[in-house]
Amino acid sequence: MSFLQPLLSGILTGGVYALAGIGMSLVFGVMNISNFAHGDLMMLGMYLAYFAFTLLHIDPYLSLVLIIPTAFLFGYVLEKLFINRVINHPHQNQILLTIGLGLIMSNTALLAFTSDPKILTTSYSSSAFNLPGGISISVPLLLSFLITCVIIAILYIFLSKTTTGMALRATSQNREAAQLMGINVAKMSAIAFGLGTALAATAGALIAPTYYIHPLAGHSFLLKAFTICVLGGLGSVVGAGVGGIIIGVVEAMSSTYLSSDWKDVVVFVLFLAVLLFRPQGLFGKMGGQS
Amino acid sequence: MKKTFALVVAAALLAFPILAYSAPVKIGFINSITGKEAQIGENLTNGATMAIEDLKAKGIQVELVKEDDGGDPKNALAAYEKLVTRDAVMGVVGPYTSGCANVVASRADQYQVPLLVPAAAKEEITMKGYKNVFRLNAPANVYSKVLMDAVKAYKPKTIAFVYAATDFGVSTVKTAQENALKMGLKEVANEKYQQGQPDYRPSLLKVKALNPDLVFLVSYDADAILLMRQAKEIGLAPKAFLGAGAGYTTAQFAQQTEISNFVVSATQWTDDVNWTGAADFGSRYKTKFGKEPSYHAACAYEAIRIMAESASKSKNPASLRAALKAGSWSGIMGSVKFADYSGFTNQNNHPMLVQQIQNGKYETVYPAPFSKKKLVYPFKR
Repeated sequence: MSFLQPLLSGILTGGVYALAGIGMSLVFGVMNISNFAHGDLMMLGMYLAYFAFTLLHIDPYLSLVLIIPTAFLFGYVLEKLFINRVINHPHQNQILLTIGLGLIMSNTALLAFTSDPKILTTSYSSSAFNLPGGISISVPLLLSFLITCVIIAILYIFLSKTTTGMALRATSQNREAAQLMGINVAKMSAIAFGLGTALAATAGALIAPTYYIHPLAGHSFLLKAFTICVLGGLGSVVGAGVGGIIIGVVEAMSSTYLSSDWKDVVVFVLFLAVLLFRPQGLFGKMGGQS
Repeated sequence: MKKTFALVVAAALLAFPILAYSAPVKIGFINSITGKEAQIGENLTNGATMAIEDLKAKGIQVELVKEDDGGDPKNALAAYEKLVTRDAVMGVVGPYTSGCANVVASRADQYQVPLLVPAAAKEEITMKGYKNVFRLNAPANVYSKVLMDAVKAYKPKTIAFVYAATDFGVSTVKTAQENALKMGLKEVANEKYQQGQPDYRPSLLKVKALNPDLVFLVSYDADAILLMRQAKEIGLAPKAFLGAGAGYTTAQFAQQTEISNFVVSATQWTDDVNWTGAADFGSRYKTKFGKEPSYHAACAYEAIRIMAESASKSKNPASLRAALKAGSWSGIMGSVKFADYSGFTNQNNHPMLVQQIQNGKYETVYPAPFSKKKLVYPFKR
């Protein structure tokens, strides 16, 4: 079998991982909070896409137009109501709060939507492009990847060219100095959390047509998002993007050339090696915030 | 004063066993209500609910103490210990998964409270000679045996295994390999995977490249849909997909006709089998819960019924154990008898069925005495 097949397949899957990782990294960068509810926010995105498809008959990829603002608003409100209360508290309090919020979300979903996994089957759910050389590329995975690229590009322009984006980056670099320069850091936190939630929900909606939708489905992605963030450097958006692709490719390669049972081992050995030689992650800054 | 007190105590002691006898029988039920196996757990819960109602109609009052293990063996063990020490139940039905049931089984003899396993397949559970462990369903070796027997006539030559890295997956494939060897099948691939991953394409592509006649799969609920969807996407089409239980036997899987049509699976129970009350159970279940019952529901129903009926006639866990050992039953799971044979202890020698999804419906296709339809072979898209 061609070497290109797992490489391409890994890059495409990695794109969606990257999107989940970027959301988490953004929240960590601006607010210095590890968001343990990130996986559950992804799960909400999956359900939004599912209901948009079954009730409103909107294609899951088109439904992003509705999902992104809804999720942003949800994240914004969540930050205003809960997260900002612990922003200056020790990490263990923040972790407890986000884990608690996540548990409430997943268990509410369990009550409301039952534990039957929902399957979102579109006309292209199990179709593929066949390239010469016996390489097949999954249509939904390719679409997800392209949308991910567009979203990352928009995010990049937003962060580097707009005033709000620059204020977000300033808050991420040094919260106190940003405040002294007249940036409304409380508002920046809410925006960052809203964006993080929107990115998580988008990742969920993008994966929905190729995955299954379940109240606990976010949990397996939470660990991945963390690994990606730390690998790329906590708080680094570029790092999370690259980290996602690396994890996707390593997983695909190790399932092809070793066994799929070993892919987590390979991923975490690589992860430990990165931490050993570059404790700040691939794109992380030395030291970071205290 | 002392005398009156002594009298009161004596009266209380005398009254107590009478009270205990007329009170409802107390039975524990350990199940995966949350966690990865929650979907199948719900089927077991529904089956148990129906059993309690039917028992009530027969005049047997049951107090069912439900515990959730979340699919985690250490929670299952804690639940069992709580049930026998704090709730003082007569017997325990459950847990669902092989991993949980195996751990709980290892402690049943210590607490001397009978455990009736309704649907866990790992062979070891009833192979250690535990006196207090009983199992209603057929163990893992029967899953693969019955599946391979069903396709034997078509003389397949090669086989590939794709399975979840769980107790159930590993033990089913281990016995499948032995059965494959006996049939002279050549194993070309062995792909064990971690559950809940979004991308199984690399493993499936590896299998496709080797072009096996049979692909033998063991997966829990949603992974089954994911695997078959990606198998279709990459164009994997062996002569037959053999799904061993669990994820390949749910109504939801059958509904995904585009990917599930002609998949063959082994099951403990179907509603078109000619066992007493099976069809009736199926139709009542559908009316009550609005979906098709899986075999897990039937297993839980029958396990609770057997446990409660035996417990209502027994005074303590020790006599309940004797009643389970000596008794025989006939119901929706066919005839049930906990016997000792070929290394098993207290194991019901349950005949498994082979079914195939034909146009979104499970049809029993093997063994011949229980089936109405014929197996479609080879598999086609």
